[in-house]
Amino acid sequence: MSANATGGLYGLLTEFDSASQLMKAVEKVRDEGFQKWDVHTPFPVHGMDEAMGIRGTRLPFLVLLSGATGLGLATLMQWWMNAVDYPFIISGKPLFGIPANVPIMFELTVLLSAFACFFGMWILNGLPRWYHPLFTSRRFRRATQDRYFIVIEAQDPKFNLERTRDFLASLGGAVVEEVNESAED
Amino acid sequence: MAHHQVPRVEDTKITMDGLGSKVFGISALIGVVGLAATVGLGLAEGDGLQHFAFAYLLNYGFFLSISLGALVFLPIMFVTRASWNVVIRRLAEVTAAVMPLMALLAIPVILFAGKVYGWADPAVAASNAMSHKAAYLSQGAFTTRWVIYFAIWVGYSLFFWRTSVAQDKTGDLKYTRRLENFSGFAIMACALSIAAASFDLLMSVDPLWFSTMFGVYYWSGGFVTFFAVLTLMTMGLQNSGRMEKIVSPEHFHDYGKLMFAFTFFWGYIAFSQFMLYWYANIPEETSWYLVRTRHGWDIIAYATLFGTLLLPFLGLVSRYAKRSRKMLAFWAFWIIAAQWLNLYWVVIPEFSETLTFHPMYVTGFVGIGGLWLAGITKLAAGNSLVPTGDPRLDDSLRFENA
Repeated sequence: MSANATGGLYGLLTEFDSASQLMKAVEKVRDEGFQKWDVHTPFPVHGMDEAMGIRGTRLPFLVLLSGATGLGLATLMQWWMNAVDYPFIISGKPLFGIPANVPIMFELTVLLSAFACFFGMWILNGLPRWYHPLFTSRRFRRATQDRYFIVIEAQDPKFNLERTRDFLASLGGAVVEEVNESAED
Repeated sequence: MAHHQVPRVEDTKITMDGLGSKVFGISALIGVVGLAATVGLGLAEGDGLQHFAFAYLLNYGFFLSISLGALVFLPIMFVTRASWNVVIRRLAEVTAAVMPLMALLAIPVILFAGKVYGWADPAVAASNAMSHKAAYLSQGAFTTRWVIYFAIWVGYSLFFWRTSVAQDKTGDLKYTRRLENFSGFAIMACALSIAAASFDLLMSVDPLWFSTMFGVYYWSGGFVTFFAVLTLMTMGLQNSGRMEKIVSPEHFHDYGKLMFAFTFFWGYIAFSQFMLYWYANIPEETSWYLVRTRHGWDIIAYATLFGTLLLPFLGLVSRYAKRSRKMLAFWAFWIIAAQWLNLYWVVIPEFSETLTFHPMYVTGFVGIGGLWLAGITKLAAGNSLVPTGDPRLDDSLRFENA
């Protein structure tokens, strides 16, 4: 099989037996300045975000922005419908009385915030995605059972096959394995 | 810092030591002086202590709501088997267990009922609109109900506190099981009695007005204030060098989330109550709001809308604010002031239809607040500040927001 058939190199993977081993290694990878890399564990490991140096997510700003959009839209929509397009007095209320419009303002704020939160999370995580190159690694299957993995992607600006392999080997993991974009078989 | 030192259970053996008697002495003194000043100012009004009775009701209702918030918080933690709160649960236990003192402080409310409550006015009681309520809203029935409320509240609050303290010594799991087994009923009994008590305490000042949401309105205001008080209590203890190792920013983050959530919950309830009456526009329903939106009271209505709901909502919405000690302290003080302002807007318009403020309201706050804090400190000083025997304490120490 040629390199083309396997879709090229996705990255390098190394495996650890315990979360404490993993944490020490993760901090070294962070300090080395890699950007496109990830850690895979069978369960959430406390303190991992800090160990990896992950910045806070931008999601809250998206949510705030769409929430404000929802609030504005609801206000504008009700004002235009009730006070401009089809003015109609109902039970002696003003054509545009704020209290009566608050429920819709509230609902649309919540709805658009929820959309931004849900779909924004998808987009920021690169979802939906049916396939991941890591699925080609047999070893990686134990990431859902009892093994801990660090993966550095070939696309990382600091990636160099030889040097990164040596670096990963120096972290004390069991093996360093090349992962390709797609399976050979 | 990835491997921050997880505090050990041994670090939790903390007491008030000398601080207890100091805080107790100062707050009790302030309380007695404040209350005496309130009575003095009330007598100076020359209205047979009527204005005093309103000032007392306002502040009594305020501090009672905080302890009731604590009383509901505890069983919710037990039925959900939550662990994050264990490290600070003793503070909630003593805030609730001050209930016998609150029962004592309720005596003036009952004695002065004739000065405050519309139903105690014979002319109102004899009116047609009151005929079907007269039996319920009478001095005898009113007093009887307060005895029942306090039987429930004193019983449960002492049960939670004493059982937890008993566990300190042995760490026996049977105490946890007992607390969990009784908590479901506690939530129901407290919810119903608090709703009924809010009708008696605050809603029946105007006996012709009614709102089925009033119970939740009163309770949720007290609940959010309780979290603000809990935040400040924890910070105060940390500033005195206690609990600073064991209560982490993760716990404060949860205080922030709860203050944020129940600020909005309170606003949701307050607005729902208002909006339905505004929309239906039926005279006997709108009368209550009419009084509170005219002759200057509309200023307080708007101050409540922004101060109690919108500003703390925006202030606490971000994760950063919830994890910043200074901002959290600021909003905790703000919420306490804002909820008091809201209760002022609920109570005082029944005394005066035009906007009015009197130093008595402040001295009443200081007076009842001082006694209330003294009672809490007395309870807290006798035992460990942390439920050291709780099986979930270790989990609580390690707690992190995901």
